[in-house]
Amino acid sequence: MHHNILEIKQLKTYFFTRSGVVKAVDSVNFGIRRGESLCLVGESGCGKTATALSILRLIDSPPGKIIDGEIRYHDEDLLRCSGKRLRQIRGHGIAMIFQDPQSSLNPVFTVGDQIAEQIRMHLKLKRRPTMERTLHLMEQVGIPRARERMKDYPHQFSGGMRQRIMIAAALSCGPEILIADEPTTALDTTIKEQILDIFRDLKQQREMSILFITHDLGTVAGIADRIVVMYGGRIAEVGTVYDIFDQPKHPYTHGLIDCLPDISARSDRLTSIPGMIPSLIDPPDGCIFSPRCPRSMMVCRQKRPKEVIVSKEHLVACHLYS
Amino acid sequence: MMRQTSRKVGGKRNLIFIGTLLVLGLIVLLDIYLVDRILEPMGYFYLFFVAVAVLYGVYPLHANRRLTRYYWERTKRHRLSVLGLAFIILLVAVALIGPLLTQDPTRVNFDEKNVPPVGFTIQQSVYDLDTDKFLVREIPGTYQHPLGTDDKGRDLLAMLVSGARVSLQVGLLATLIAILIGTIMGVVSAYFGGWVDQVLMRFTDIMMTFPFFILLVFIIFIFGPSLVFIILVIGLTGWTGAARLVRSEALSLRTREFVMASRSLGASDARIVFRHLIPNVLSSVIVIATLSIPGVILAEAALSFIGLGDPTVTSWGMILNAGQRSLDTAWWVAVEPGILLFLTVLAFNFLGDGIRDAFDPRSQL
Amino acid sequence: MKRGGLQGYIIKRLIYAALIAFGVVTITFILLRLGPTSPADKYLANMSARTQDPAQVVAAVEARYGLDKPLYQQYGNYLINLARGDWGWSFSTSMPVIKLIQTHWVYSFQLILLSMLFAASLGLLIGVCSAIKQYTRIDYLATFFSFIGISIPNFWLGIMLILVFSVQLGWFKTYYDTGLPMFSLANLKALILPVITLGTGMMAGYTRYARSATLDNMGKDFVRTARAKGLPERVVIGKHVFRNAILPIITIIMFSLSGIVFGGAYLTEIIFGIPGLGRISFNAIFASDYPVVVTITLIGTLVVLLTNLATDIVYTWLDPRIRYD
Repeated sequence: MHHNILEIKQLKTYFFTRSGVVKAVDSVNFGIRRGESLCLVGESGCGKTATALSILRLIDSPPGKIIDGEIRYHDEDLLRCSGKRLRQIRGHGIAMIFQDPQSSLNPVFTVGDQIAEQIRMHLKLKRRPTMERTLHLMEQVGIPRARERMKDYPHQFSGGMRQRIMIAAALSCGPEILIADEPTTALDTTIKEQILDIFRDLKQQREMSILFITHDLGTVAGIADRIVVMYGGRIAEVGTVYDIFDQPKHPYTHGLIDCLPDISARSDRLTSIPGMIPSLIDPPDGCIFSPRCPRSMMVCRQKRPKEVIVSKEHLVACHLYS
Repeated sequence: MMRQTSRKVGGKRNLIFIGTLLVLGLIVLLDIYLVDRILEPMGYFYLFFVAVAVLYGVYPLHANRRLTRYYWERTKRHRLSVLGLAFIILLVAVALIGPLLTQDPTRVNFDEKNVPPVGFTIQQSVYDLDTDKFLVREIPGTYQHPLGTDDKGRDLLAMLVSGARVSLQVGLLATLIAILIGTIMGVVSAYFGGWVDQVLMRFTDIMMTFPFFILLVFIIFIFGPSLVFIILVIGLTGWTGAARLVRSEALSLRTREFVMASRSLGASDARIVFRHLIPNVLSSVIVIATLSIPGVILAEAALSFIGLGDPTVTSWGMILNAGQRSLDTAWWVAVEPGILLFLTVLAFNFLGDGIRDAFDPRSQL
Repeated sequence: MKRGGLQGYIIKRLIYAALIAFGVVTITFILLRLGPTSPADKYLANMSARTQDPAQVVAAVEARYGLDKPLYQQYGNYLINLARGDWGWSFSTSMPVIKLIQTHWVYSFQLILLSMLFAASLGLLIGVCSAIKQYTRIDYLATFFSFIGISIPNFWLGIMLILVFSVQLGWFKTYYDTGLPMFSLANLKALILPVITLGTGMMAGYTRYARSATLDNMGKDFVRTARAKGLPERVVIGKHVFRNAILPIITIIMFSLSGIVFGGAYLTEIIFGIPGLGRISFNAIFASDYPVVVTITLIGTLVVLLTNLATDIVYTWLDPRIRYD
């Protein structure tokens, strides 16, 4: 058994809205191992981001609230540690990158300052070494003329450059875990590849665990060691890249893979999963995927499936395998 | 949602409105050149106000009952704004029928000067002719003057009721004028754009920078303080905010599909302005109108407070002025009109806030 | 940023300010001359006891001040003198307008400055606190009081303060004492009631804007980023949120200046008998002493225009996104 550096157990994050309780994350379990990159995949609104935000307790409250569960980082439960301890971990032990670099950077401070502030904060460095480190980070993520550009403001950068700055800031204190929440979604396709390259490099160069969140199974391939497939706030399937791509078990994973445009395939039609993304308010009693599932059975509508181990690394939550 | 309104507002109604204006204008001309005094100047204001209120307020509300109910439901969720509305309705009722029931607010009676309100007793030194000495006498409040009297023995209740009428007249009528001018300026500026927009907006800028209150004081001082004049001046100077708001609203509407569509169908400028732009900015206009009434009421009160109010009518500012001079002998004279003024302004602010939230589709109530 | 752009913008704005000032002078001048009373009549009223022939005096006065010339010539002369720094002669106080203003401006200045400091600091503090504690009792209380603050007529508030603290409790004088040295505690104490009178409405307004601006920015993504970096809440709010929220608040504060200079301060000076420019121009209006009125209006307008310009320039430092070209 591998050692999990971060362990998420029975996490429940609900949003209390006017129209009802949204169960965005509903009893989710998974772990991240040292040095691996784990991809969390699922459609928009399946609770990926809520899961990621829950790890660092960044859920906006109200309306969101972490109801139950445990997030074990080393020997601590992040959901129960003090605010002070949590702030020491945020950015230092676990860093995070967000979807939209445009709005995630503060428009009125220079990018240098926004990278440097957590270096000063966590590593307690003096002015000069802070600046040197900032400079080094910016060069590392591929920002040309970094020494001059440190003094520029976010609006003076392009979208891809901004995301590089976000990455530089996240890496600044040498975190053990990097959570990247759809870091390429807001970018152009060509820029997207460049950012993904940075992640591939990071994976090779650093002893760092990456939790990479995306809705696009296609971007996962070069990055992921293991994949967690989420659907409707619950986990559908967990496995290595090979497990998921070569031997998908869950009908939803099948659907996702079928949706990928395949150059070698004869058909030139893009497939899609029929049906709507489920409402997470009052989800059905049984398997949440059952209304859309092509292989739905009687039991699927009555009982929530348990997670079944199909092979060493491969878990699936589906009645077909129980 | 508002497109339904646009179908029902406009068209014939604008013709009727323009017709009413023409008739009113004719009567004014008749009044000036042929017959003497068909109506007091105030009367014309009222007719004008009623015409606008019915054609652009009551009728569209009635025609779109469902929409009206929806907005009312949303406004109602602000408890304070309902409270504000209740107070305003009460005040309007008092201003309309109150003067028939109260005493003459201008009747001076020095025997009953500085009588405190019911429930209060004050000590007053009175010169006694017989003993040739000052006597300290207790004066209790009486039910004849429930809110007391001022230093000339005038009944404060009657004065306050008269003041309510003045404040509401100025507040409503001057705002109406200002909003009308502002709306027209804004819509025209946005619709025609180009140099028309440039000229109108530069003019608005200058008006905005111009010291409004000093201008008011000048004009009133020079041309004499009459209520009609005060209303006109406030109305003619206070339209800048509305013009800007309406312009920006109309600018965003101008490029919307239904305006484009009707232009491509060959609708004339006037038709687009009257049938599409104006009805669709109405909701913002109603909000800004409600929110600018307090400022207008305060401006009038400030004017009469510094002695530039219409001397022929009793207004709250005027009572306040008198009250300031007799603070040490009769505190209630300064307190009472101020409370009413404050509550009125508060009521309009609450109501305006509620309406704004009700009309704002983004606000979740 | 290109310096040329900013300089060009400032020059453009200065020209614009000059045009507006010119417009204000013109309109004021015309309005005052249209009035039914000639300034000479007032002068005459002051002098009548000492002279035999009123008509002669009128003629003499009018000749002396150029009032017998046609309006456009008077206007031209006035503008030329204005440009030369000769701001005219005050009929009612018998001294040059510039001297009058020199002795009185400081009273208005201290009142407005202190009120703005009072209103801005308290308003910001309450507004930001109320936003941080949204939906708590503190927030509701602050919102309620800010509604009261913006609705309370400031001249009435002034009278009530005098009634309670001066007449009833006797803590303060009912009138501002001009004999006090400017930088003394006694002077500060004398200004407490006027500052509250003028500042309360402003404060309430600023509170509302500060609250909504803070709330707007607290929902932004960069706040979440700042929290994810592990910054303490003090830095997240005090640096990241506040620095963004302050921008619209500064605009509001500067925008409200015009109303304060020309409305609030004017009435406050009258109520408390502070001999500032507001009260001077108030007296001058009733005395038909138009050079005083025109000059004070002009000064007020210029102050407002220049502060607006200054705000725009400060803005380029505070908000790197702003460019003027």
